[in-house]
Amino acid sequence: MLKKHYALAMLLAVLLLLFSMLLSLNVGSATLSVSDIVKVLSGQVPQSALAETIIWQIRLPRLLCAVLVGAGLAISGAILQNASRNPLADPYLFGLMAGAGLGATLVSVVLPPQMVSMALGAFCGALFAVALVFMVCAGQNWRRIEITLLAGVAVSFMLSAISSFILYFAEPFAANRVIFWLMGSLSPVNWHSVLLLAPVTLLVLLLALALRRQLDALLLSDDSARTLGVNTQRLRLVLLLATALLTACIVSQCGGIAFVGLMIPHIVRHFFGVTSVRLLLGCAVVGALFMIWVDNLARTVLPQQEIPLGVITSLAGSIFFLLIMRRQRL
Amino acid sequence: MLKLSAVSLQLGTQTVLHNISFSQQHDEFIGIIGPNGAGKSSLLRLIQRELAPDSGNIMLRQRALARYSNLELAKSLAVVSQTAPPLFSLTVEQVATMGLLPHKSWFELSNSHDKHQVALALQQVGLLHKASQLTDTLSGGELQRLYIARALVQQPALLLLDEPTNHLDVQYQHQILQLTRSLAIPVLACLHDLNLAAMYCDKILLLNKGRQCAFGAPAEVLRPDMLQEVFGLPCEVNMQSRLRKLQVTFMPEPVC
Repeated sequence: MLKKHYALAMLLAVLLLLFSMLLSLNVGSATLSVSDIVKVLSGQVPQSALAETIIWQIRLPRLLCAVLVGAGLAISGAILQNASRNPLADPYLFGLMAGAGLGATLVSVVLPPQMVSMALGAFCGALFAVALVFMVCAGQNWRRIEITLLAGVAVSFMLSAISSFILYFAEPFAANRVIFWLMGSLSPVNWHSVLLLAPVTLLVLLLALALRRQLDALLLSDDSARTLGVNTQRLRLVLLLATALLTACIVSQCGGIAFVGLMIPHIVRHFFGVTSVRLLLGCAVVGALFMIWVDNLARTVLPQQEIPLGVITSLAGSIFFLLIMRRQRL
Repeated sequence: MLKLSAVSLQLGTQTVLHNISFSQQHDEFIGIIGPNGAGKSSLLRLIQRELAPDSGNIMLRQRALARYSNLELAKSLAVVSQTAPPLFSLTVEQVATMGLLPHKSWFELSNSHDKHQVALALQQVGLLHKASQLTDTLSGGELQRLYIARALVQQPALLLLDEPTNHLDVQYQHQILQLTRSLAIPVLACLHDLNLAAMYCDKILLLNKGRQCAFGAPAEVLRPDMLQEVFGLPCEVNMQSRLRKLQVTFMPEPVC
């Protein structure tokens, strides 16, 4: 990938992102005029009194969350794929989703209502799953990432089984709430979500950019990275923890949105390049772009109803992957 | 430069290396030879600090190896081994640039001097014209030269080569060894081929079952009686008259 191509692709993606963000403010159940949106954004008084509330309290935080969630998941996927040299690594691989599901289930079914928020429950559950996986894998020094993946699968099944058991005996309304929540949606987010996700996403991105040479060195082999002075075990542990934390934050705010972290890095590698800086920045922009449009689609396809985001991303992601595998370009 | 004194290594209950002592001067190309399982690779791994010796000590530039930090070691010692081609498509320049790592702090960008270093290294191994090509397009010999370029970017005081000519065609085997000899960096190389060792090494270390059988100039080490004892085959050592280099020919007895 040549430098010129990269710069051009980046410029195009950023412009597309900005354009999409502006356009998306006009997507939603209420119809607002473009002049009102411009007025609200520039701090003037709009004609419709509702416009200000809709933009500031609903659409803007949702839009920013879409940007952060898309960027965060894509960055996490890219970091994990490069750090493990495994193009199938995905931020949900530590059993995070199953853990979040169990946390959400416990909070909404077992605990008295409104005692703990579902988001907090999901966050704790996700961290619990990560802790389990890390405890199992601590002995093998992070040399073999496959073991971590397998431990994640096992932990996933275990925690899902417990969730299913609880949900089976739960009252249908509470069970439905958990199940729909797990399908992923940006409708529950607010400014608090933005304030949580923005610094965490930014910190993980900065950390990965700071460690870009180390990450690049891992692309050849562990031995070769060690001869360059990289402590591969410590590097991997730091990166795994950082992405697990970021993903847990994302899951706690908007449920399960699968395949973004798996799919976006593949597309970005193709158009932007393989080395860390290009891949990470590309993933941040393209991931955000992708999530904005998935959310727009989710809100507009059916009248008066939202499709869960996870449904769309899983469908798109799995088809994408089957196509790649058929063309054997994985 | 490099000095090993009475170094021994045990892995489990097995003694892999026993009482190895030799030293390398500033301008020497030293080859390590011996049959499979002689401990050649283990010895290199000790010097790379992938393994720690059970007794004895290793000094690099008059300083104990154990007292180097990871990054300090990477600035003093570069390693080229048989590495598979990268999984993701990297360019030649990107792989060579990896050699800057030990010289750079977290947020430090590559400056024009660094880019010059990378270009210089690629030129030394004759790959500058392929700088923007993907590594998948390189031949085995070119890939090995690229890893040598990456090692040069590290600006090491000592270059370790672990079987650098394995799986390469004859012309590339000579090319790689000629190249590494011409670099003005002392080289310590594990070599399989005794004739390559005779041709390119200033000194040779002969290992057998973890013990040091001989260390010295090729003429002192490549003696028929010693080689027959170590490799288990009768052999002849002759002087190749035009090259003025020793040549080892093994003469196995016919099987039938």
